[in-house]
Amino acid sequence: MRIEGNETLHAPRDRVWALLDDPQALAGCTPGLEELRPVGPDEFEAVLSIGIAAVRGTYKGKLRITERTPPLRYGVQVEGSSAAGFVRATGVLELEDQGVQTGVRWSGDVQVGGALTLGSRMIPGIARMLASQFFQCLDRKLQEGAA
Amino acid sequence: MKPQVFAYHDPSSVEEALELLARHGPGAKVLAGGQSLLPLLNLRLARPEVLVDINRIDSLDYLAEESGWLRVGARVRQRWVERDPAVRRAVPLLAEAVRYVGHVQIRNRGTVCGSLAHADPAAELPAVAVAVGARMVARSRAGAREIPAEEFFTGPLSTALSPDELLVEARFPCSPPGWGWAFVEVSNRHGDYALCAVAAGVCVADGRVRDARLAYAGAGPVPVRLPQAETALREGWPLEDALRAACSEARRLLEPEADIHASADFRRHLAGVLTERVVRLAYRRAVDGAGGARA
Amino acid sequence: MATRWLGSPIKRNEDPRLLVGQGLFVDDVQLPGMVHAAVLRSPHAHARILRIDARRASQHPEVLLVLTHADLPPALKEPLPKLIPHPDLKHHKTQYALAPDKVRHVGEPVAFVVATSRAAAEDALELIEVDYDPLPAVVDLEEAAAGRPALVHEDIGTNVAAHSVQRVGDYEAARARAHLVLARRFVVDRGCASPIETRGVVAQWDPKARQLTVWDSTQAPIPIRNGLAALFGLAQKDVRVVAPDVGGGFGPKIMMFYPEEVLVPLAAMRLGRPVKWIEDRREHFLATNHERTQIHDAEIALDQDGRILGVRTVFLHDAGAYIPYGLIVPIVAECTLPGPYRVPNYHAEFRAVFTNKTIVSPYRGAGRPHGVFVMERLLDLAARQLGMDRAEIRRRNFIQPHEFPYDVGLIYQDNAPLIYDSGNYPAALERALEAVEYDRWPEQKARYRAEGRRVGLGFACYVEGSGIGPYEGCRVTVEPSGKVFVATGVGTQGQGHFTSFAQVVADALGVDVQDVHVVTGDTAAFGWGTGTFASRAAVVAGSAVHLAAKAVQQKALQVAATLLEASPEDLELADGYVRVRGAPSRSVSLGEVARAANPLRGVIPAEWEGPGLEATRYFAPPRGTFSHGVHAALVEVDPETATLRFLRYVVVHDCGVVLNPLILDGQIHGGVAQGIGGAFFERLVYDGSGQLLSGSFMDFHIPTAVEIPEIEVHHQETPSPLNPLGAKGAGEGGVIPVPALLAQAIEDALDDLDLEITQMPLHPDALFHLIQAARRRQP
Repeated sequence: MRIEGNETLHAPRDRVWALLDDPQALAGCTPGLEELRPVGPDEFEAVLSIGIAAVRGTYKGKLRITERTPPLRYGVQVEGSSAAGFVRATGVLELEDQGVQTGVRWSGDVQVGGALTLGSRMIPGIARMLASQFFQCLDRKLQEGAA
Repeated sequence: MKPQVFAYHDPSSVEEALELLARHGPGAKVLAGGQSLLPLLNLRLARPEVLVDINRIDSLDYLAEESGWLRVGARVRQRWVERDPAVRRAVPLLAEAVRYVGHVQIRNRGTVCGSLAHADPAAELPAVAVAVGARMVARSRAGAREIPAEEFFTGPLSTALSPDELLVEARFPCSPPGWGWAFVEVSNRHGDYALCAVAAGVCVADGRVRDARLAYAGAGPVPVRLPQAETALREGWPLEDALRAACSEARRLLEPEADIHASADFRRHLAGVLTERVVRLAYRRAVDGAGGARA
Repeated sequence: MATRWLGSPIKRNEDPRLLVGQGLFVDDVQLPGMVHAAVLRSPHAHARILRIDARRASQHPEVLLVLTHADLPPALKEPLPKLIPHPDLKHHKTQYALAPDKVRHVGEPVAFVVATSRAAAEDALELIEVDYDPLPAVVDLEEAAAGRPALVHEDIGTNVAAHSVQRVGDYEAARARAHLVLARRFVVDRGCASPIETRGVVAQWDPKARQLTVWDSTQAPIPIRNGLAALFGLAQKDVRVVAPDVGGGFGPKIMMFYPEEVLVPLAAMRLGRPVKWIEDRREHFLATNHERTQIHDAEIALDQDGRILGVRTVFLHDAGAYIPYGLIVPIVAECTLPGPYRVPNYHAEFRAVFTNKTIVSPYRGAGRPHGVFVMERLLDLAARQLGMDRAEIRRRNFIQPHEFPYDVGLIYQDNAPLIYDSGNYPAALERALEAVEYDRWPEQKARYRAEGRRVGLGFACYVEGSGIGPYEGCRVTVEPSGKVFVATGVGTQGQGHFTSFAQVVADALGVDVQDVHVVTGDTAAFGWGTGTFASRAAVVAGSAVHLAAKAVQQKALQVAATLLEASPEDLELADGYVRVRGAPSRSVSLGEVARAANPLRGVIPAEWEGPGLEATRYFAPPRGTFSHGVHAALVEVDPETATLRFLRYVVVHDCGVVLNPLILDGQIHGGVAQGIGGAFFERLVYDGSGQLLSGSFMDFHIPTAVEIPEIEVHHQETPSPLNPLGAKGAGEGGVIPVPALLAQAIEDALDDLDLEITQMPLHPDALFHLIQAARRRQP
């Protein structure tokens, strides 16, 4: 399932890039992220607790940074599994310099397996909601940083 | 398909239920009609530690018209709302739309508040709530609050309710004179979630649309109200021009997701087609003074 | 023979029992000490299994047994038996009881847990750790055929399991002299049967009697018994398989073996306790066989009068991850394609291809809907190009009633020549066209159009191969009570055998149909047979029932002749008595005859062929018999919402002599509903990684009474010369032509758009995009 979107972050591109390049800052904005442990260059073990309504699960898995082209493109790959199934996702962020602010074009591809496939109708919407929470949090951090 | 072990409580009062919700927080789930929750439990997609069954709380079983509002208690089955002549008169849109929810067997168990709290973006009743400007009454041990429908739905399957809150009542404003209402839906089969559905109301005086309400299901992460299309209906004239403008606003502004049943462009197309159909129907009913009652 | 019962629309003997909940389905089997099984299934379409650790599951306090591939006895470590070999099937890969080192489709069993309750067994499944190394999934059929992106079975170096060609005449030569050659690609996607009862198995092992009893929701209890005996090293007599009431089969339950069918008996033998496994609906979507995906590149060559000179179809068949059932579906597809038409030159060629999807085996229709879709579409599109009426092009090509037996020139699924035994194709079409007033359709359509409604008329013709061998048998016994007991090896999944077989016997013995008690699907009651599939039970088992009943009739006359001191020729059977014709007071009840046939002292004459009022007979047809029919419907299309409504649905159906029109109507109604479901509502949607995204009834939309129209059925009876009843199969005719009919009806409703429908199933979004594309093409 492919989803994509555009966001505006209210800070210049260099600052946005710096934030994206800091795993801990990133971790703080990833919805439901409970643990992020580096296990290699650009590779982390992660524990996420994601709950939408009654459908809650703890997903253990890996997060890998697949692309880093400062200050233009940033790619991640996440895979995790829980008792309800597994999720594999890849995402790419492209940053566009807009002076005092930065345009982010993002796209992602989400694959699920196991019982989670039964929720396929909901997955794009939920993924978009989580992405939007992520960007709102980043924007907050950027604005806090500027203040 | 057997659920994971959970603790089960069936309190007989709202206070007891709120106590349980406060104690167990996000680990608890409320069971009303169970038409969405039980499949999720059996598939082990939902794994609550505690189930709070509100079916024994008799005080939540009321359907009453009171000072311009239809009050629907949390235990009211959809079938009751469907069959009650007072609902058809007071909130005709609700009476019409509820027939699109599943099938009779499902509506015999499913509750109006349960459907609202489940917040499926393709479900009918949330769109009705947004279209008419319903208000959700949430209670916790800390007290009660009213949440306007448009603020209640926050995302797919997500609402403004906090884990310790119970949706005890949904309040639907009674239709004022001069309004006509209609609900149209396209789904694969009767009873399925909408590929796209539109709930509409128009207020007509001297043949002209004075006011309008439009809400869409299956067209975004939450039931979407489209004030721009409403404005187009209010300000456009003649009616054909207003309709054309409203449909094009719907096609332009809605951002539906694609899923295995319908692509985003099909859903946008349907939103336009259904906007025209639903407004014509509502307009005719307003002019006939029929409100939204079906023959 | 008086036919008081046969041919009458009598109500079904089994219904009172079923309607009040007194049926015995597998999940109704409750045994003392019974424990419950659950299956751990692969969440991946294609992955290597690196490690399985089941220790935590084994330690679960309610768990009695955990099995992985490593724990299986040698016979069950091997791939399960190959069912139907074929010389063209080079790589007959079959499924495993439990996956050894690799999984090849989502839902493939990896481990098996038995616990004191199903819930505990499911809890334990979550404690089993499996490390998978995911491999690229083979999802797209054309890519798969080219060996991309991976090989489902590496050891064979290809994904192509079989390549098969059948030829009649010389298609190339026919093409060279054709006035019109029309080529199209037709795509049929996956579907599945969705019986109301999922699969289920209960097994009980009696170690002292050394007797294994298995209740199995199967269409083939006797082959299952024989297979289990072989796998477990038991005598066939020591294994009893019961297919009790079965809530729908539709083909997928003819499969053998599903892994659970060997794992449940194995567990029962290891534990010495009865074990039950009931498939849940989620498992059913992934682990019970599917059908239907085929891509046909087809071509038709015609002369200027619209006469068919030849047809060619080159197609890919999606076999799924394994191919236990062999090449039956693609062979039936290519053999059904010529249908009721003379096709003097025919080239049919297919490749059966492995993919990382659920296994494919016949599902009601079993290749026939594909063949009919391709042929009927070719004719429709050719008629359009020739400016010819779509009924007329069919009339010009029909095999005529005097041409039977008609040799199509192909070899059918039973390895016998494809020879149509009888039929009247032109009459069936005319009757259907008359029923829908085809000659007045242009005016009617214009009237709808004037009301702003888009209504199309569609019709489609088909020939249905049915009633193939090798054989079935039956034993008919009259007990001293006067009651008649009938036992046959075929199982019953809702076809009404308890009634139609009883009708055959009631007529032969002159008893009330309710006094005839039929047992099907219990190997202890009758141990020879192959199963209920390919629309064969009424034809083959029904004929065996007829032969056995006639033998009992003859014996009753012989025995009664001694009792009544009359000549057998002067006797008749009626109302449960044997009586002297013309002197009804001289009579003896069948029960008394039965008692006399089994004396405690005295002599049994040699011509009685043994004791008792009983006979066993077998029927082995030389080859299949061919039913046919025409469906016609009026379909309203809303081009803006891309939704449909059936306004009328007419079926003209010829399955030879009708045994019970009420049951037959039911078969047809159910088939049409299933056909409509498979043509527009139900879809198995896979993503690029081989995950099934529509694997629940929330997303797999079986039509309900709201979507299904009233169905008018007209029976035409052209008896089969190949069996004593004159019967032909009726199990699949309801389904077969629906996709072809629907495509034609939609094109007719939207004829101003010049739409071409070449894919099935459709659904609103697909239809929307077809309409949009057609609108864009318009000037």
